Amino acid sequence: MLITELKSKEIIASLAEGKVFMINCHGCKEVRFPEKEALELQKELQAEGKLTGVITTDYICNPDNMKLRLEKYQEQIAEADVVLVLSCGVGVQTIAEYLEDKKVCAACDTYPVPGFQGVTPLEYKCDQCGECYLNLTGGICPITACSKSLVNGQCGGSKNGMCEVDGDMECGWERIYRRLAQLGRLDVLKCPTQVRNFATDDEVAK
Amino acid sequence: MENYTKYKLKSNEELASLLADKDNLFLVACNKCFKEFETVDEPDCDELAKLAAEQGKTVVGSAKVDFLCNKIQTERKLQDMIPEGAEHVLVVSCGLGIQTMADLTDKPVYAASNSLNYRGHHGMALTAKSCDACAQCYLNITGGICPIVDCSKSLVNGQCGGAKDGKCEVDGSKDCAWEKIYRRLEKQGRLEEFLNQPVQVRDYSKTNVKVISDYVKSIRENRLDGYYGGVHPSERKEYTEHLSLVRFPEPEEVVIPLSMHAGAPANPVVQVGDTVKVGQKIGESAGFISSNIHSSVSGTVTAIEEHAHATRGTCLSVVIKSDGKNTLDESVQPKGDLDSLTPDEIVEIVKEAGIVGMGGAGFPTSVKLKPPKPIDTILLNGCECEPLLTADHRVLLEFADDVVYGLKAVMKTVNAERGVIVIEDNKPDAIELMQAKVADCEGMEVVVAKTKYPQGAEKMLIKRVTGRKVPSGGLPADVGCVVSNISTVKAISDAIQKGMPLIERVVTVTGEHIKNPGNYIVKIGTNTKDLIDHCGGLVGDDITVKAGGPMMGFVLNDTNVPIMKGSNGIIAVDTDHSVEQPCIKCGRCADVCPMELSPLYFAKYADEENWQGMKEQNVMDCVECRCCEYICSSKIPLVSKIKAGKNAVRGMK
Repeated sequence: MLITELKSKEIIASLAEGKVFMINCHGCKEVRFPEKEALELQKELQAEGKLTGVITTDYICNPDNMKLRLEKYQEQIAEADVVLVLSCGVGVQTIAEYLEDKKVCAACDTYPVPGFQGVTPLEYKCDQCGECYLNLTGGICPITACSKSLVNGQCGGSKNGMCEVDGDMECGWERIYRRLAQLGRLDVLKCPTQVRNFATDDEVAK
Repeated sequence: MENYTKYKLKSNEELASLLADKDNLFLVACNKCFKEFETVDEPDCDELAKLAAEQGKTVVGSAKVDFLCNKIQTERKLQDMIPEGAEHVLVVSCGLGIQTMADLTDKPVYAASNSLNYRGHHGMALTAKSCDACAQCYLNITGGICPIVDCSKSLVNGQCGGAKDGKCEVDGSKDCAWEKIYRRLEKQGRLEEFLNQPVQVRDYSKTNVKVISDYVKSIRENRLDGYYGGVHPSERKEYTEHLSLVRFPEPEEVVIPLSMHAGAPANPVVQVGDTVKVGQKIGESAGFISSNIHSSVSGTVTAIEEHAHATRGTCLSVVIKSDGKNTLDESVQPKGDLDSLTPDEIVEIVKEAGIVGMGGAGFPTSVKLKPPKPIDTILLNGCECEPLLTADHRVLLEFADDVVYGLKAVMKTVNAERGVIVIEDNKPDAIELMQAKVADCEGMEVVVAKTKYPQGAEKMLIKRVTGRKVPSGGLPADVGCVVSNISTVKAISDAIQKGMPLIERVVTVTGEHIKNPGNYIVKIGTNTKDLIDHCGGLVGDDITVKAGGPMMGFVLNDTNVPIMKGSNGIIAVDTDHSVEQPCIKCGRCADVCPMELSPLYFAKYADEENWQGMKEQNVMDCVECRCCEYICSSKIPLVSKIKAGKNAVRGMK
């Protein structure tokens, strides 16, 4: 579940040299899909006589169904010089692998969404650090709620409770302090220094 | 399938030290997501309970919750979940679920698990591909292989030089991503283009946290606007929304099914060879939930026989050959002034005219007009939330006065003070017109609703407009509402003002495979194929024709079926070639279900024939809006599984 934005007109124009086959993925449309912009692009390409075909489908990251759905477009794909995919990076990679001999291009940039891990975009974010600090912080995540992802308390740079890196953001550690005070658990702050292990789980397992 | 389970329990030592100074524990575990849906009984919660017991701790309660990070649902479930006496809440979940719990309860919340740590974001299928959402997609210069996630060092300007035999020096089990990139581009003959690329610089400031979090806030509001869930399929109404209604040419023959409504089929009251006139009753209502049927042409009854039917396979139908004269039946006479008619007289007129809900369900309107409970609000559904369809939109624009008249009649009949016409914001012209029309009508108003499917479903409409929730198994009347469709009240107006029974309706014929889409006034019993042919026929191949809209419409394998009272559209769209795949617990269905159900269980239990489980998951509350099926990333035909479940549950009683 990621946000996609169309790349700039110039970049897309440089990608769409020659004939184009266009693939729109509406799988995560409930979160974000630049539908209007995609339609405009389609119309422009059509007007220029560049479009060999277009399919609007969903979940192209699911390779089995993607293949079944693209099958009837094989001729139109063969005719195109480039397959332009409007989806997140996972979708583009999946198509690129399937059409290995074809120039497959991403027409979108992909941005992260907080809460992407779960079912719905959320105000919370989990960075998958692999060593959850939440029980030391009253359930507020120091990795994502602190700009510097500090795990041992505030940096000291906040002004009026706002982060020095991003003035629109509250200092995560001040929030943590307040929550712990509210819970009567300020003693938790006396826990020994935490060290973050940046290895991924795959690497740890080895 | 890749395993993207999000968490694992912390180590026993860590948990032991976490528990050391705590007692009277309440445990909450998330049932996990993004893994094949094999069990509803994930073991982690019990493991933690066991560990706590070994430590001599009192566990005052525990709960296993689906999609713990779904804040709205979790909040609802939490209400009666945490027992008195619980002092500490231990959560087994990824960081999202733990943060959600920490926000929702004033008790101290602790993480008993760690999120699993892996690179990038997976998609909606459990493949090995992932995306780091770097906001500056490099795939165009790398042949579709991602240098950010596939290269251990996330290099964007070529290999580091450390690879040995094509393997990464950081992780020997991985292929060097840059070697893969080189080979693919070599294969595509794009090496020169590739090697001439300027140096790439990764811009880490591209992801603006504030912009993203504001966006997330806005879509959450949008998604929860009016009622939980719902979806926004592409509307594609531009094919026909601007096209005025056109009367479909007089059919030479009509086939009028005796069942176009909920309940018992009507009994035929004409015989083969009889001469009939327009508006003459040809089928008599056969019970309380049933409806009269009338002839839509004047001519001769040539057969009364089983005929193909859009939703029921076949159905006894009256075949009438038109004489082309459209002679009106003597019974078609204005029924008098609305002010002088009593409510009972109006109900009788509606019943006699064979009016049924024209939104598709076909429930006899006269029954709705005799609600068992007091009604204060009439809701007219002018949402037309189904993509593609524009029939109600055109009726609003071209029969506005009739709609207002019909609403007035319904308000009078059930003695309601308030009459609300609900229109989605994608029909500004209809909103403006109706606002002007109701300006001088006491008690009437237009409510503009933000477009979201299934807004027109009566329970959603009631929630949106009045904030009231129809109880499980209940009817709109239970919360003082009657919901009616735009075309239905127009039919009521015709029945009173002209004395004309329900013999024709507005049908949208559209879709990317209809040559000349349009909105037509069509006589009931007209052949669907004739209608399609009149619109220039189908273009292209591999087409699915549906009666109704793309969401709730019925697939027509044979278009030789008659247009019925509930036929709001005939659409010809692309056939989707996909096959059912295993459920991966992506949770999208639970996220969009407007009835706040968990459709993933319906799929699982239907396959296991666990009808009791279906019942416990409240399958009977499902309104079959198809949101879950639309959003399902595994393309599971959920609604047919739900229907099977409903049938089985009905049989259990």
